[in-house]
Amino acid sequence: MKSVEPALAEGTALVARPSSGGNEIVRVLKERRSALAGLVIVGFFVAMAVFGPALAPYSWTQQSGPVYAPPSSEHWLGTDDSGVDVLSEMLYGGRTSLIVGFAAAFVAMIVGGGIGVVAGYAGGGTDNALMRTTDYFLVIPDLVLMIVVATVFGPSLSHVILVIGLLLWTSTARIVRSQVKSIRERVYVRRARSLGASHRRIVAQHILPQVAPLLIATTVLTIAYAIFDESALAFLGVGVPGVSWGTMLERAFERTAMTQGAWWAFVPPGLAIGLVVIGCYLMGQAIEDALNPRLRVAHLSIKSWRFRTTPNVAEGDAS
Amino acid sequence: MHRADYVIKRLAFAIMTVFVAITVNFVLFHALPGNAVSGFIRAPHVSPSLRAALTHEFGLDRSLWQQYALYLRELVFHANLGVSFTDSQPVTSTLADKLQNTIPMVFVGTSLAILVGIVTGFLSAWRRSGVVDRVSTSSAIVFYALPTQFIGMVLILLFAKYLPTAGMRNEINNYFSSGSTWSNVKDIGLHMALPAATLALTLFGEYTLVVRSSMLETLGEDYVLTARAKGLPQRRIVIAHALRNAMLPIATLVALSLGFIVAGAILVEIVFSWPGIGQLVYSAVSNRDYPMLQGAFLILTLSVVFFNFIADLLYFKLDPRIAV
Amino acid sequence: MQRSMKLAASIAALALVATACTGGGGDSSTNPSNDSVKTGGHLILGTLSNIDTLNPFVTFQQNSYSAFEYIYPQLVQYDTKTLEFISDFAQKWEQSADGLTWTFHTTPNATWSDEQPLTANDAAFTFNTILKYGDGPAANLSGGLSHVTKVEAPDDNTLVVTYSAPVANVLSNLQQISILPQHVWEQYAVGDGKALRQFPNEPTDQPLVSGGPFELAKYEKDQVAIFQRNPNYYGTEASIEGFGLQYFSNDDSLVAALRNGQIQAAINVPVTAVASLKGDASLTVYDGPGITLRDFIINSSPEKTTNLELQDPKVRMAMEYAIDRDTIVKTAWLGYAEPGSTIVAPGTGDWHDSQIQGLPYDIDSANTLLDQAGYAPGPDGIRIANGHPMSYTVLFASDETGAGDAAFRIIQNGFQQIGIEVTQRKMDNDAVNTAILGTDNTYDQFDMAMWDWFPLIDPDFILSVLTKAQWGGWSDTGFDNATYDKLYEAQGLAIEPSKRQQIVHQMQQIAFDERPYIILNYNQVIDAWSNDWAGFDDSESVLGLFNNLSKAPFTEVHQA
Repeated sequence: MKSVEPALAEGTALVARPSSGGNEIVRVLKERRSALAGLVIVGFFVAMAVFGPALAPYSWTQQSGPVYAPPSSEHWLGTDDSGVDVLSEMLYGGRTSLIVGFAAAFVAMIVGGGIGVVAGYAGGGTDNALMRTTDYFLVIPDLVLMIVVATVFGPSLSHVILVIGLLLWTSTARIVRSQVKSIRERVYVRRARSLGASHRRIVAQHILPQVAPLLIATTVLTIAYAIFDESALAFLGVGVPGVSWGTMLERAFERTAMTQGAWWAFVPPGLAIGLVVIGCYLMGQAIEDALNPRLRVAHLSIKSWRFRTTPNVAEGDAS
Repeated sequence: MHRADYVIKRLAFAIMTVFVAITVNFVLFHALPGNAVSGFIRAPHVSPSLRAALTHEFGLDRSLWQQYALYLRELVFHANLGVSFTDSQPVTSTLADKLQNTIPMVFVGTSLAILVGIVTGFLSAWRRSGVVDRVSTSSAIVFYALPTQFIGMVLILLFAKYLPTAGMRNEINNYFSSGSTWSNVKDIGLHMALPAATLALTLFGEYTLVVRSSMLETLGEDYVLTARAKGLPQRRIVIAHALRNAMLPIATLVALSLGFIVAGAILVEIVFSWPGIGQLVYSAVSNRDYPMLQGAFLILTLSVVFFNFIADLLYFKLDPRIAV
Repeated sequence: MQRSMKLAASIAALALVATACTGGGGDSSTNPSNDSVKTGGHLILGTLSNIDTLNPFVTFQQNSYSAFEYIYPQLVQYDTKTLEFISDFAQKWEQSADGLTWTFHTTPNATWSDEQPLTANDAAFTFNTILKYGDGPAANLSGGLSHVTKVEAPDDNTLVVTYSAPVANVLSNLQQISILPQHVWEQYAVGDGKALRQFPNEPTDQPLVSGGPFELAKYEKDQVAIFQRNPNYYGTEASIEGFGLQYFSNDDSLVAALRNGQIQAAINVPVTAVASLKGDASLTVYDGPGITLRDFIINSSPEKTTNLELQDPKVRMAMEYAIDRDTIVKTAWLGYAEPGSTIVAPGTGDWHDSQIQGLPYDIDSANTLLDQAGYAPGPDGIRIANGHPMSYTVLFASDETGAGDAAFRIIQNGFQQIGIEVTQRKMDNDAVNTAILGTDNTYDQFDMAMWDWFPLIDPDFILSVLTKAQWGGWSDTGFDNATYDKLYEAQGLAIEPSKRQQIVHQMQQIAFDERPYIILNYNQVIDAWSNDWAGFDDSESVLGLFNNLSKAPFTEVHQA
């Protein structure tokens, strides 16, 4: 595996020097249509999460129409199993789902980024130990673990966020680690060290800025997985309390929406989740492409959220 | 690095992961709140003597270390995962039964996904940036993004009139009308159609994109250009080189996915009442059936480790870049 | 989805009670003659509740008990229409003048499905095994034999059960116990009896040794149980060749299977499906009174130290005024429920005290009560009591998911209008139970909860859950009322039915006034079957088609 790593390091060296990281992202977003589409989609849903509930025509908890009424001029998306307006539920539920998604991804970013930086920078024994831990997390069937933990500790917003976040950090950690490793070897870092700069300073001034764009790209993808996982947990009865897209799907399933033909009770939340995931995916891929074309190819596969990220044999984990 | 070295290293790693998995498994399920025995005995007026007897039987009166040692011993030497709290039957036999139900369904779904993935990925790469490429890439992404349970629910909405939407087979009818083997197989096949289709739709997107990107990369490689320059027909070039090279990432991906697909099939099994390991986990969680959960968790983790190891070997075998 | 464990376990918790016993003898089976009906064929019954195990010493699920009803003999069974006791394995019975000795005359020349003799000795063996291991492996079943001192079979057709006190509901207790084949089980009833719980009791390549109208031919856990007509049954043979019970893990697939003909009958049909099923001309939908109840629990434990305003009767009354039962019935249950009143459901007949009416939905009265009690609203509209806002968590058992969520939202909205804020905390059943029990079973922690009960017809069980004796057992309220407990003892020994009824009514009044429970509603029994099959109508009851009250439903059903 060592033979592959130099190829990687070589690839990263092809990217222009530090300062253009942020500019790269903007350039890519401007140039690639799919990236722009992704941004628009995500932007739309974020706006919906912020302003939506204020615009909701009806209450999202109280009955405002007959049970399972089809879409009409009064209820654009019909009503659910309790006569609650589906559109209002979508607007409010979107806020919950996105909060969970963003918060969990944030947790994953902090934990994954932190571990990645430490492992990549420290190297040696620390690196090994941390990577072993990461490897173990990689093989845990995450959905099973999430169910167990959520069931035992009770479903609350914070529990769900933590549980999802603490299982999604591994891919971030790996990517950050390999990036940090290659940065560490660069000339300007070496020079800074020989001049006596403290580790903390080096990390803060040289490494973090370089890592940041990649971290953002990975986190954007993690948001997608987190929202997905939230809907899976809700489906299994251990999601967040209250209304979210995931719980809307679960309730439609519980209350025989399919055999009733009440497609409006579950198609909107399902499509919404799909759209957000697509949006995040497009954005994240585009950012990754911009920063590191070689990296994408070396990944060999799209990260599979519901199945753990491929351990990326190419990134020299065999050591 | 020598091939043998590599294999041994990966094997050692796999074994160590297994050991860690076993230990963490134990810690996790014994550190969970709620006394296993009190959750298990639900009848009132249960005398202290029964509680004591059952506590002793499950070894819960010993220290955690002793319980761990007992657990290891039973697991390693007797392949004994304990008995279920709900029906006092051995966990291993129930797990085996349920796995037998899950594996065929997952196998069919995954095979479908791989097939569709290869075909669409190939076509996409072949006709890059054309309509075919756009359509297949888009649909790959779309289906990949939609929640699994949602896809299942939509399929039920559309096909409930034509196909069975629950269970694995119509055993009762078969029993009373003693169907032939063929009718039994057909019965299971019909029941498997929707769940396997759901799984396939959920998975194929990944394979499409991988095949496509890997083929695109290979098509740009030097030796392909060389072959083209030599004047070999395009089709032969692609099939001979590009496709074969795409096999590497696919094989790796498949091997890696397989370990998780079994776990990921939980959602599909619940939507379609498929009596497999996913559903077992789900009901074990709601019943607080700790031994069953522990056993299922372990099996799933082990399967992932195993398939990861296979993936490592495959990667090693197939990647020409890895020098000896 | 799992049904409440309380259902089957209620069978295990019986204690001293009185019953409307039919005294000197049983009627012969009220099964009409089966001469003119078509025989043969098989049908599939779909259910949402699984069988957890076929071992009677281990099981908790209702469908297991219902399965036992068909494969094992019981001494007596219920007439599904009159709810009186009629003969099953015992054809006649008497009790002694002092009520301490019961003698049962069992059907002579009966055999098990493997042709071994089925006699009173099997009954004696079963009962004595339960008595012997009642503190241990047989704890689940021992409740049905409380106060029994001796069980003997002086001859093959006579069973004598001796009690230490004149128990009022002997028949309803004994009806719950399935008689097991001694020649199969005696090898396990040895030593510490642990083997009793470990024996899977499943058919292998042979059907299970059975004694009822059907033998259990095949069983796959969480999938199917297949029942085949038992030609050696001592009673009237079933018309059908057999039936299968198929488990569905979600409502939608059950309904879809019924509609596309995969199954021919379904029990506990979800309310959301009823309208479309009624619209299907090939199906019959039965919708009748049931005895399942949904409750709103208010912690009543004297050991509670926080939120003591909840113990204030005015507060509880106000809360009941703020619960819109009619809307709950209409929206959560789509009309397939009755608004709640007392803890003994109207479906039980005379046991229910019909004089007690639930309080109407009246926000003004509620607000007046709370104002009078001195709990003034704070700046955000939530009332302040004892220095803190009246804001509480309602523990929500996962059993209640679905309709219960809708009911909770309606309650939440009503409470909001009277200045009380409640939030839902969903937990699985075990977790709710643990949280309710509190520290050392003192019930000192939780404020409120939502759950359900699937009681028996005999009111003893549901009345017992409010007794102090059930703390740590079936009590989920922490209720402790000495008068109530005394009355409970009394009704258990009141052999005279009208006297017992009086006491039972008194107890309901106490429970209603003290409000440890606000009973939200009683659910209707909803079953559906294909019109290709006839005979179910006559055997429907408050416990639905597939129950452990009577062997009638599946012995009488026949092709239309």
